[in-house]
Amino acid sequence: MPPIAQYVFNGVVTGGILALPAVAFSLLWRLLRFPNFAVSTYLTVGAYVALVLNHGVRASIELAWLGALVVTGALALLVDRIAFRPMRDRRPFSLAIASIGVAFVLENVVRFVWGNDFRSYDVPVTRGMSVAGLRIGRDQLLILGVAVVLMALAQAFLLRTRLGIAMRATADNPRLAAVKGVPTERVIALATLGGGGLAGGAGVFLGLDASIDPLMGGGLIISVFAAAILGGIGSAPGALAGALIVGIMEEVGMLVVPPTYKTAIGFTIILAVLLVRPTGLAGARS
Amino acid sequence: MIAYLTAIATLVGVRALLTLGLNVQWGLTGLVNLGAVAFFAVGAYTSALLAVGGAPLVFAWPAAVGLATAAGAGLAMVALRLREDYLAIVTLGFGEVLRLFLLNEAWLTRGANGVTAIPRPLHARFAGHYDLFYLALVLVVVALVYAALERLRRSPFGRVLRAIREDEIVAAVAGKPVFRFKVQAFALGAGIAGLAGILFAHYLAYVEPNMFLPQESLFVWLALILGGSGNNRGALLGSLVLLGLLEGSRFAKDVIPFLTGVRLAAAQQILVGVVLVVLMIRRPEGLLPEQPGSE
Repeated sequence: MPPIAQYVFNGVVTGGILALPAVAFSLLWRLLRFPNFAVSTYLTVGAYVALVLNHGVRASIELAWLGALVVTGALALLVDRIAFRPMRDRRPFSLAIASIGVAFVLENVVRFVWGNDFRSYDVPVTRGMSVAGLRIGRDQLLILGVAVVLMALAQAFLLRTRLGIAMRATADNPRLAAVKGVPTERVIALATLGGGGLAGGAGVFLGLDASIDPLMGGGLIISVFAAAILGGIGSAPGALAGALIVGIMEEVGMLVVPPTYKTAIGFTIILAVLLVRPTGLAGARS
Repeated sequence: MIAYLTAIATLVGVRALLTLGLNVQWGLTGLVNLGAVAFFAVGAYTSALLAVGGAPLVFAWPAAVGLATAAGAGLAMVALRLREDYLAIVTLGFGEVLRLFLLNEAWLTRGANGVTAIPRPLHARFAGHYDLFYLALVLVVVALVYAALERLRRSPFGRVLRAIREDEIVAAVAGKPVFRFKVQAFALGAGIAGLAGILFAHYLAYVEPNMFLPQESLFVWLALILGGSGNNRGALLGSLVLLGLLEGSRFAKDVIPFLTGVRLAAAQQILVGVVLVVLMIRRPEGLLPEQPGSE
């Protein structure tokens, strides 16, 4: 049996991938005031967009990844325009239900076209490294590196740029921000585009790390939720920390419970956080 | 053809019960529950396992309803203090974890093999036209539950539930123990879903964990919103239209040649998703909206 450290390392990689949709989910929740269940399905969409580019036009995986980022972001924006924008003033739960409908449609469009088979990208086989008894894949390191860079960029955008500051202002108090001249719809569009892109890119990572199938993203919704709640809704660094904790706990938890119970670990985290400390680790105001 | 229609009508009846149960929770009281399938499964599995173990149905059925109700009350007491967007994920997760439990704890639930040879009530007496008898049984149960819920809706209890839905602070100020009413409404809805599970299990004589996927809860939502939430007649109509939608699209296979099994299932679910989103945007009050102030 591999040492515990191996499970922790795998958990860190899983957490790094999970962090991208978790940050998107968390920020969009704060901004639009409803949990968008479709975010985790954007991972599936991104993975299949890259699959088409990779298999269809023989694009390298790096190029396919960029393509997935752009196409998924654009799709998220389109979904927002069609489904969510007409419902902006409704109670959050109506939007949440609509987002479940959207997730359902997207997942089944993928299933309709590609079926339920597991697929994988055409990538050159790289040999894993062995460091201090740990098996470490080059892909895994690359994924982790890119995820960290993307997170840093997202955080810098939120803290330093005019639009990022406008976005945080709208999330805090949409009316006040609008009165002060923040173009609310443009901020929402940008956040949706960026969030969809992050999730789509994460889908390619997930496809590289594991495999590609129609349920790959939707099946993560509870983990994404757990990461966002753990980190405090609306906090990007919080969601990153939450994703790492959820990723590690899900992997290490497999030493204790069968792997099929993975979802139950995320669920337990959600329940525990909501009942003990509903504002999350970062303690963002609700 | 008669056999087919009988089977469809029986399943519409089972779905109608599920929708009526959710209508107590969401339609009447405004409580979010994305895990209706969990209580459906608790009812189905409890009754099936007891009956297969040799317990008489007069014992197994009340026990199954009781356990589903208790599960609803338990979840409600933990979760109903949460905000409704949190409640959405907690109830959804509850349904999924319960399914994993059914799948993994084979010592109790027989795991992925499912429970087979579930006894069918009065099978010997109505041999020959058993399916018609069972349809009649389901319809009688639906009619009784419907009548009881209509009474409940008009009763002082039902008025409190609607008051909580409209504004729970006002209800609390008026001296109503809001939390207790909410737990009761949630448990009642769960019990009705459990009853649906019982009828489902003993009709098919077989249950397995993958009959209780999260999407089943979504179908219940669609039926309720389609028919008109808050209105029991709407819940019945919604269940009928939903099954028409699902079954009608099944015939598409005969018309469109490249539609394989997987594609057909996917196309059906795309249809369900699109109808749900369009309804939420265009007609959230459903086909039969609740009459304001209907007593």
